[in-house]
Amino acid sequence: MSLLRFDGVGKRFAGSAPALSEVSFEIEPGEMLFLTGHSGAGKSTLLKLIHLAERPTQGTILLEGQNLSQLKPRRVPYLRRRIGVVFQDHRLLMDRTVHDNVALPLLIAGQARAEIDKRVRTVLDKVGLAARERAQPSALSSGEQQRVGIARAMVAQPALLLADEPTGNLDPQLAAEIMQLFASLPAQGTAVLVASHDLHLVRRLQKRVLVLDHGRLIDDFRPVAA
Amino acid sequence: MIARAPAGESGARRSRAGAGSIGAWRDAHLYSMLSSFGRIARRPGATLLTVGVMAIALALPLCLGLLLQNLERISGSFRAAGEVSLFLQPELEADKVEALRARIAQQPGVVAVVVRSPEEGLAEFREMADLAGALAALDYNPLPAVLIVTPTAAGPDAALAETLRDLPGVDFVQHDAEWRARLGAWLSFGERATMLVAALLGLGALLVVGNTVRLDIQGRAEEIQIVQLLGATDGFVRRPFLYLGAWYGGLAALLAVSIAALAQWSLQDAVAALVASYGSAFALRGLDARATFGVIGGAIALGWLGAWLATSHQLRLGRKGTN
Repeated sequence: MSLLRFDGVGKRFAGSAPALSEVSFEIEPGEMLFLTGHSGAGKSTLLKLIHLAERPTQGTILLEGQNLSQLKPRRVPYLRRRIGVVFQDHRLLMDRTVHDNVALPLLIAGQARAEIDKRVRTVLDKVGLAARERAQPSALSSGEQQRVGIARAMVAQPALLLADEPTGNLDPQLAAEIMQLFASLPAQGTAVLVASHDLHLVRRLQKRVLVLDHGRLIDDFRPVAA
Repeated sequence: MIARAPAGESGARRSRAGAGSIGAWRDAHLYSMLSSFGRIARRPGATLLTVGVMAIALALPLCLGLLLQNLERISGSFRAAGEVSLFLQPELEADKVEALRARIAQQPGVVAVVVRSPEEGLAEFREMADLAGALAALDYNPLPAVLIVTPTAAGPDAALAETLRDLPGVDFVQHDAEWRARLGAWLSFGERATMLVAALLGLGALLVVGNTVRLDIQGRAEEIQIVQLLGATDGFVRRPFLYLGAWYGGLAALLAVSIAALAQWSLQDAVAALVASYGSAFALRGLDARATFGVIGGAIALGWLGAWLATSHQLRLGRKGTN
C-alpha cells in the first residue's frame, strides 16, 4: 500500500482559476521526492491538502489508506500528527526555548516528559543544535532557525515530512546542508516531500521530481540511477 | 499556553521514564496550570484589574447575603413571636396551671407547651437593667403564670388563638402572627433580591473572564494556529485558557472574601455599640469555612466556564478560517 495517493485531485478557490486540477500520484513509504514548478503553480496548495489546512474540491487523497475527504474535523489533529511540516518562515514560537519548540509535537501527542526530553535531545543532536537547546530562537541565525523547524517536524517520527520551500531564505551552502538533512530521513522510515523552485539543488540530489504547471502535474521524473 | 519544561525538573523526572499516558496527562495538566499562572503573574497590572473587577462583582452579593443572614439570625430571636403566649389569671393555683398545660398540649396544631411561673418571669425582668429598679419598689410579684405554646411549623393560626382564648383561667392571649409574617416577607424579599443581584453580577463576572481570555487568545492567535497545524486537539488548545480562567476566578474569590471580611470587621464595632444599646449580645457573623470554600469553588467554576465560552468561540472561528 502506498503511503500517500492523489487520485484526480482538484482544488478551486472561489472566484479564481483552479489552483490544482486532475493531480494523481503516489508516494511510497520512506521515499524522498521533490515538488517543483514556477511560483503560483500550486505547490503550497498541494502540501496544504495533505495536512488538511485545505480540503480538495475534487478527487480523493488517501494517506495510509485513509480517505482524507471523509475525515471528521474531530479526527484531523490525529492525522496531522502523522505528518511533519517544515514551513518556509519556520513558524517557531519565539517566546519558547529551542527545546520547548522542538518538544511541542510530543507534548501535543501526550508523551511522558522524560521521553520528550530524550527524543528532543536526540533530534537536536541530529540537526547539529545540541548546544543551543536552551537558547531562544531569536538568538539563532536564519539557518539555525530553519533547522529547529526541521527538528520539530522530525521529532515525532512522522510517516511523511512535508517541507514548503525550506531553503528559500538560505544561502546555497546552508541550503545544501538542509537538503542533505532531508535526504537522511528516508533511511529512518520517513518519506519526505520537498516543495522547491531551486531546480539546481533539486537536480543535484538525483531524486524523484514532480513538476506542477498551472495546477497540473506535467512531469513525474525518476532518475534512473537512484 | 503550552506547558513549559522547567529546566531543573527534567532530571528528577527522568527516573519515571515510561510512566505511561496517565502520568503524561497529569503532567500536561500540571504544567498548563503552572504556566497559566506564570502568564498572569508576568502581567500583574492587567491581572489585578481583571481580578479586581471580578472580585467586586462577587463581593457585592456576598456582602448582601451576609447582611441578610445576620438579619435572619436577629429575627431568629423573634421566633418567640411565632409562639403564642397565654397570660393566665394571676390568682390561678399551680396545679390548675399544670392541668391547663396538659390540656392545651393535647390540642391539634400544638407542638409543645411550656410553663413560665411568675417567679421565672420576675427573674427575667430583673435582668433588664431599666426594670430592676421599678421591680425592687414592689413588695409583691405582679406577674401571672404564662403558658408558652409552640404551634406546628405552619404557624399559629387565628383559630388556634381563638380556642386558647376561650379556655377557663386564660386572661390574655398574645401572638404576633401578622407582625412575624410581615418580617418574614421582608426577609424573603431581601433573599430573592440578593439572588437576583448575585445572578446578574455573576453573569458580569463570567463576561469579564470571557472577555479577558478572549483578548489573551487573540494575542496568541499565531501560537494557536501553529499548535493546531502540529496536530493539537481542541482540548489541548483550550486547556491553558481554562486554567487561566480558573486562576482569575479563584483569585477574584479570595479578594471578594477578603473584602467581605474587611466589611464585617469595619462594621463590627458599630454593630456592637448598636446592639448593646438594645441590651443584646448579638455579634456580626462572617462567612464560615464551608461558605468560603463554596464561594471560591463557585468562582473558579465561573472563571472556567467563561474561558470555555471564549475558547469555543475562537475555535469555531478558527475552523471556519482554515478547514
